[in-house]
Amino acid sequence: MARERCVIIGNGPAANAAAVALRQETSELDIMMIGEETFPHYRPHLLPAYVAGAISKEDLFVTPPSFYEKCNIRIRLGQRVVQVKLDQRELVLSHKEIVPFDALIIACGGRQRIPERLQIFEELLLTLKTPADAQRWIEGLKSAETILIVGGDLTSLSFATAIVSAGKRVTFMLDEESFWPLPLSRDLADDVKQRLTRKGVEIIEASCIKRLTRKSEDVIEVDTDTGLIASNLVGAFYGLIPNVKFLVRSGLDVERGVLVDENLRTRFDLVYAAGDCAQIYHPELRDYWVSIGYRNAMEQGKIAAQNLSGGMISIAAPPASIFCAEGVMVNTSWWMEF
Amino acid sequence: MPTVDVTVEVCGMAGDGTIAAGAMINEALSRGGFSVLGFDSYPAEIRGFGRCVTRSRIGSETIVAMGTDTHVLISLNETEAKSRISFLAPRSVVIFENNPPTYVHHDASFVAELPPDKLLYGMPLSDLAAEAAGTPRGRNLTALGGFAAICGVSPDLFISVVESKFKTKGEKILSSNLKSFEAGYTYALREFSDKKGDAIQFPELPHNDRMVMLSGNQAIGMAALDAGLKLYFGYPITPATPIMEFLASTLPKQGGRVVQMEDEISSIGAVLGSFYAGARSMTATSGPGFSLMTELITHGVMAEIPAVIIDAQRGGPATGLPTKTEQSDLHAAVFGGPGDSARIVIAPTNVSECYHYTIKSFQLAEKYQTPVIVLTDFYLDNRVENLVMPLASEAETRNANVSPTGSEGGNYKRYQITESGISPRALPGMEGYIFTATGLEHTEKGSPDYSPEVHTAMSEKRHKKIAGALVDLPKPEVFFVEDRLDVGVIGWGSTFGSVLEAVRAVREKGCRVGALKITSLSPLHASLIQEFMERCNKTLIPELNYEGQLANLIGHLHHGSVVRLNLVTGSPFPPSLIIRKIEDLIDRGDI
Repeated sequence: MARERCVIIGNGPAANAAAVALRQETSELDIMMIGEETFPHYRPHLLPAYVAGAISKEDLFVTPPSFYEKCNIRIRLGQRVVQVKLDQRELVLSHKEIVPFDALIIACGGRQRIPERLQIFEELLLTLKTPADAQRWIEGLKSAETILIVGGDLTSLSFATAIVSAGKRVTFMLDEESFWPLPLSRDLADDVKQRLTRKGVEIIEASCIKRLTRKSEDVIEVDTDTGLIASNLVGAFYGLIPNVKFLVRSGLDVERGVLVDENLRTRFDLVYAAGDCAQIYHPELRDYWVSIGYRNAMEQGKIAAQNLSGGMISIAAPPASIFCAEGVMVNTSWWMEF
Repeated sequence: MPTVDVTVEVCGMAGDGTIAAGAMINEALSRGGFSVLGFDSYPAEIRGFGRCVTRSRIGSETIVAMGTDTHVLISLNETEAKSRISFLAPRSVVIFENNPPTYVHHDASFVAELPPDKLLYGMPLSDLAAEAAGTPRGRNLTALGGFAAICGVSPDLFISVVESKFKTKGEKILSSNLKSFEAGYTYALREFSDKKGDAIQFPELPHNDRMVMLSGNQAIGMAALDAGLKLYFGYPITPATPIMEFLASTLPKQGGRVVQMEDEISSIGAVLGSFYAGARSMTATSGPGFSLMTELITHGVMAEIPAVIIDAQRGGPATGLPTKTEQSDLHAAVFGGPGDSARIVIAPTNVSECYHYTIKSFQLAEKYQTPVIVLTDFYLDNRVENLVMPLASEAETRNANVSPTGSEGGNYKRYQITESGISPRALPGMEGYIFTATGLEHTEKGSPDYSPEVHTAMSEKRHKKIAGALVDLPKPEVFFVEDRLDVGVIGWGSTFGSVLEAVRAVREKGCRVGALKITSLSPLHASLIQEFMERCNKTLIPELNYEGQLANLIGHLHHGSVVRLNLVTGSPFPPSLIIRKIEDLIDRGDI
């Protein structure tokens, strides 16, 4: 009889924690991870330090390929799931491969968010979500002197200070949409500005970008509500959004993320979601909340795997640590660290 | 300038355009200034079955052998490409069809089996080709477009190759192929912009328009033409057939003739007849055909008639492995046939030598009045190298017949015993001479005579003549001359390139190793080979045969043991195996 197969969609902290926990629970299961990115499991929160040259590329990566081999976990990278057929217990990959599964953990994380009004200028904006993004920054910073950072998510704060310490002139434009999923109150904005200024980052008062124009090979002109700014590089840091578009017609309940109960179960048997892509029910709040951050994701991945193996563990998040942002309840391990 | 050493592989089913795609990669990168060595592997069946694989090793420095690892795999058929996964180097690029006509179950998926470190570039090859050119037939060109975009190869190089290849086939076909290529290039540039820099990138080198891509078989055909070939007789057999095909399209334009004979026996018979009459002629065959020729080859030895025979070795014995490479005809070439039939056997090691040694074989055959066997193999015949177009000098091509002086009067002795063993040869039609050609033992005048004295004297004459040919045969070539060597590696034929690369690699690690190239296999430059072997603590002889046939020939020249390294996988000898063996010999500490 064929062994049962659990597919884990994703290769981030939640997915990897889930795979390891599952293997610890049982050796009688085929575990297959399918990640869209081509990189092995890395620590995204270390990317700013890597760009600034404070750590080596090797320091970014968590687990070597031999680890998966040793654990008998099959990992497939650079491969994209485009459809989940829950009634047939099958996934469809972008190259028209059908992968049957018995159990499924959705841990596909999030992707960089660019506000709609800026999407037409996307080619001129650098982001920092993956090692490939980091590489682009490293290449760009070789000749760049001035860097404009717009947005202001948690990554941007550490990134700005990191590249200032690398000798670059950094201008920061704190956008009102920047702190998604956290609300940027006046007090919080002032606090952030003060912290950045102390670290040598120049804050500009503009709050809205109207247009970006490439003026020459190495100069981008940014038209803001308070005037023109010329910069060698422009970074966009508006946080992440759950990467769940491919699940829309799957039958799963998807709102901002995949809706799951406090045990991370979806309404389908043996189908779980964890990490940045999950929206978790909180019995005390009587509402769903999303989580941001490496540590939260790992914890959820582990719990999803344990519950899949027969456990009944609830996600522990005290109501007090959960924010309300844009009508969404949010808990972020990064924010707590900041 | 960064050093590049990249192996690109195209894999598909027969009929997918795999071989054509590989050839275009070779040509484009050659025009781009790189050193290129390409080799195709295809099924024995005519069409519609089996796996086709082309491998192109491309370097910024001279490439002398095919490596083991593949850095870029272009899959035109995912089922067939599965077999190539184990050859992929870490972080290699895989370009594949991502929109096949039907869904593929996980258990049958090529992509599912790829290790996670591979860089995947899925492209809807058929759709792109069909959309651009109205037919998916150009999907191999579309894949090449993807390759160019992903690996940073200038599209102009491919466009110029496509134009050269298809310009004679009409505007419609040329345009269709160009559109297919451009569709792949544009798609890959757009879709994979976020992966830019992940894949291996080819630097821009100064272009070199003087270089041409030539296969071993083409070089042999060109050499025969340049040598003044008048007649070619042959019977088709892999891997020798391309020589006949090449000559069929070129020799008649020079006033010669190509005749397809009923078998190999008649082919060698006709070659002997032509040379007997004074016309340069040639045949090419492979092991099974060569075995049929052996009696008449010895007839040439006995009757002292020149002949040029190309033995393009393939996997054997018998019909064996028609489209795989092997070096297992050496004993047959040197010894095959009845009696003490010493002959000349010469084995080129690369495409350039295929040209020059084929030219040389005509003069050797004429001067020493004996069959000359040019021993190649499937890998050497089919591999392509880029090189400056070879050109023979007048001295290389001139007639080498040793003719009588005319002073003999009526006392001409066709088989006169001379100091060198060479008897002046009168050609039919020369006034005042009697022409003999007999396979029976004979007197100096050519009359049958089986007496012990005559047979002894004539056997000695024939052998002395062949031994004397050493002065005209290429000497063994020593690479990395040193007084003492820990390991000396001796190579012949197509394997020598692998030997040279392996020795270079081990020397870079500080080891005392050297290489010896032997191209004259009969007669052997025994004293020079012996001298080299005596300077080596260990002698290693890698060969693509089971027994170690060269080792059998030269092993006795050295008081120490000869280490044999034999491979019969049907594939070229990987330098990595030789490196491992050398290091193993050094590490053992018994040297």
